[in-house]
Amino acid sequence: MIRIAIDSEPRLLNILRGVVKFRAHEAGLPNSDAEYVALAIDEAAANVIRHTYGSRHDARMALEVRCLPDRLEFILEDWGPKVCEESIRPRSLDELRPGGLGTFFIYSFMDECSYDPGFKEGNRLKLVKFLKRKGAGCNDEGSSAKSG
Amino acid sequence: MMKVQVRNLDKISVLDSSGDVDLYSSPLLREALLAEIKADGPSVLVNMSAVTYIDSSGIATLVEGLQLSRQTKTRFGLFGLRPNARSVLELARLHRVFTIFETEAEALEKIGSVQPFSGI
Repeated sequence: MIRIAIDSEPRLLNILRGVVKFRAHEAGLPNSDAEYVALAIDEAAANVIRHTYGSRHDARMALEVRCLPDRLEFILEDWGPKVCEESIRPRSLDELRPGGLGTFFIYSFMDECSYDPGFKEGNRLKLVKFLKRKGAGCNDEGSSAKSG
Repeated sequence: MMKVQVRNLDKISVLDSSGDVDLYSSPLLREALLAEIKADGPSVLVNMSAVTYIDSSGIATLVEGLQLSRQTKTRFGLFGLRPNARSVLELARLHRVFTIFETEAEALEKIGSVQPFSGI
């Protein structure tokens, strides 16, 4: 398991992307899928910075990456005001406007997306990517299931 | 680290962009792009061949540029998209909205014949 804590500073997002890509590659995802997953996590973290923290750069956020035999789990935590889950539904692509694509990418590239209602101190977003390829995956809670 | 450099050719401005375009760096692209797109100004091309990553804030910047180009009736296009950037644009169904060229040579040759969009 990897847990990384950073300030809500946009220039640090590339560190999160690097960690996600590294773990996704290690879990056996093809390069393009690893990049899409990194984009989804990047978008979720950017939403925390822009919306939850109102572009404050001195707040805290943390990303936990768990690699399991059948899936990758990403837990993104912040300590800002509670997010209304309904407000982060992806928008229609029919209208041409600059904003609102981040949530669309999150829902497009991840298989599950949910908030933990039990996390009282802020928001805990869980994003899951299932691993479809045989032999992919690992087990952060036990021995590696991946060969080679 | 993202960089944007502007090349002023004959009636065409080329924005050579490189690196990751994300929440941190997209304001740099936005500033350069919006400064180049103006009424009676040159056609504007964004060279994406060295852009290694683009997120929704980068795409939003390109959409802003597109909208401004429509308002100012400026010819606007992209070229040299890497597969990851292209597939993200396709997923967002924006590949048909932007004028996209494969190469700089094609872009320089054809941008003059692109009809500036008259509506919003």
